[in-house]
Amino acid sequence: MPENLIFSNKEIAFLRELERQNVDFMLVDAAAAALQGAPVVTQDVDLWFEDLKNPGIQAALRKSGGIMVPSFGQNPVTFAGDAVKLFDIVLTMPGLGSFAEEKKNSFTVRLGSVRVKVLNLDRIIASKEAIRRPKDLVVLPVLRDTLKALRQKKLKKIEPRTSKGRKG
Amino acid sequence: MRLSGDNIKKLCGARELSLNALLKRAGVSKTAYYHLIDKKSVLPRSIETLALALGVRPLALLEATDRKSNRALRLLEAVDRIAGSDPSMDRDNVRHTLLLLQEKPIDRLRRSLLRARKLDLQQ
Repeated sequence: MPENLIFSNKEIAFLRELERQNVDFMLVDAAAAALQGAPVVTQDVDLWFEDLKNPGIQAALRKSGGIMVPSFGQNPVTFAGDAVKLFDIVLTMPGLGSFAEEKKNSFTVRLGSVRVKVLNLDRIIASKEAIRRPKDLVVLPVLRDTLKALRQKKLKKIEPRTSKGRKG
Repeated sequence: MRLSGDNIKKLCGARELSLNALLKRAGVSKTAYYHLIDKKSVLPRSIETLALALGVRPLALLEATDRKSNRALRLLEAVDRIAGSDPSMDRDNVRHTLLLLQEKPIDRLRRSLLRARKLDLQQ
């Protein structure tokens, strides 16, 4: 896989390391919607962590040559480093339940050689409806159309879905 | 079924192609192009009346002559079926979703990230 390819081996290796370290996380927001077929653009891949203090995250970062930059001022906690700069950290999803509750509304998808949990599109929509930032309002019609199209198409799977909580 | 000048312009824009360049590449004269754009229907009237008599969209009467056209036709039929059931849906959103679903999830993600980078460069 070429090194300059966007979302390449280095990002996948970080996700694999998180998985190996038993870190509970799932992909959310626009990247998660794109994975489900929504024709949207995104600058980053949002990872929702159950517990940011999980030492497995630091271990995965060390292995990937990344660091966690603590929150200061208005700036949230972020990752830094070539392999992890594409990822944004999410600690709560406005309008939704806790990580443990929403985990039931996720499914597993294969990204290259790693399998990751992805929040269901209907929950992403619910969160954006709760936040209602201008950028959320712009993308909501597209996400709703995608969800309707998926339901109409009665897709049994986009990728093998392993979570029992998967709806629709 | 008429030719959409807006759709053609959008498609050209996405490919960073001017309309003139497209017409030159396709070997279609400007006169022929604007004649087609002005027509209320690009389909022969007989096809439309046949479809009307059968109570179906003209697309249902067309048959693809190769694999690529067949796939495109099947996609448009699916768009018709899905968007037709809910007038509030945007046909482009449905079409793009169905196209993206033909790709691997990781490629869908890469597309969304790449498009964002392109938009960034254009700003």
